Amino acid sequence: MTAATVERAVETPVDLQAPTLDTESREWVAGLRAEDPAAVARLHALLVRAARFEVARRRPTLPHLRGNELDEIALEAADDALMSVLRRLGDFRGASRFTTWAYKFALLEAAVKLRKRAWQGREVPLEPETWNLFTSSGLEPDAEAEQGELLSALQRAIAEALTPHQRKVLVALALNGVPIDVLAERLSTTRGALYKTLHDARRKLRTYLEETGLPLESWLEEDR
Amino acid sequence: MKRPELKQALGRLLGPGEEEVGCDECFELLDEYVEHEVAGRDADAAVPGLRAHLAGCPACREEHESLRALVGGEQAL
Repeated sequence: MTAATVERAVETPVDLQAPTLDTESREWVAGLRAEDPAAVARLHALLVRAARFEVARRRPTLPHLRGNELDEIALEAADDALMSVLRRLGDFRGASRFTTWAYKFALLEAAVKLRKRAWQGREVPLEPETWNLFTSSGLEPDAEAEQGELLSALQRAIAEALTPHQRKVLVALALNGVPIDVLAERLSTTRGALYKTLHDARRKLRTYLEETGLPLESWLEEDR
Repeated sequence: MKRPELKQALGRLLGPGEEEVGCDECFELLDEYVEHEVAGRDADAAVPGLRAHLAGCPACREEHESLRALVGGEQAL
C-alpha cells in the first residue's frame, strides 16, 4: 500500500434515519437539504467561529497583518467554506458529528489563505538552500565523519535517484520549508498531487540509501 | 548538526516510511479521526494510515491540530 492507496468503501449520502446519527447532526442535514435560510445562517456563523479560531491560533506567526486584515481573511474563509459545505453536503457520511465535519472546511480555508498570505511576494526557492543545515561542525571527529558520509549519500541520492520534478518538489517542501499550498499555487497543481510526488521521491531516497548500506533506521531512531 | 536536529531534517526528507493516506483522503477522514481521539478511543486503529500521513505532511498536521483543539475545547466546556 502506498500514499493515496488506502481505500475506503464508497459511501452513500447519510441516511437521516440511521440510528448512529445524533439528533443535532440529523437536524443540521435536514435543514440544509431543505435549503432553510435559518439553517444556512447558523452554518455560516459556525464556520466564521472556526475560521476565527484558526486565525487566532496563527496570529503570532503573522505579525505584519493587522487585526482587521486577519478578520477579513477569516470571513472570506468562512464564505468559501460555506460554499464547500453546501456543495458537498451529500458527502457527509455521519462518521462524525456534523459540526466537526463542517469545521474542517473552515479550518482548511483559513489555513490555506494564511499560508499564502505569509508567502505573498516571496520567491519560492526550488534549489537547495539549506545544505548548511547538515553541516557537522562542533562534533567529535568520528561523528563528523559519520554525518559527512550520510550527507554525501543524501546529496547523491537526490541528484541521481529523483526526476527533476521530484527533486524540485522535495527540495522546496522538505529542505526549504515552502508550504505545500504555496508551492501548489506556484506550480498550478494541487496539494494532493504534490504530496504524491513528495511521497514517491521519499520512497526512492529510502531505497537508494538502504542500497548503499547506510544504517538509516538507526539515524531516525529516537535516542541515537 | 546535533542529532535531534539531524533526525528532524532526515525525517522531513525521508518521511514516515509507513503506509499512509494522501492529503485528499486525510481531509475526508480527519473529522472521524479527531472524534475518536477526543473520545479517548484508538483513532489509529479506526482510521489506519492517517497518523503516518500527519507525520509526513506539515499542512495536514496543522489542520489536524486545529480541529482537535477546536473540538476538544468544545467538549471540555
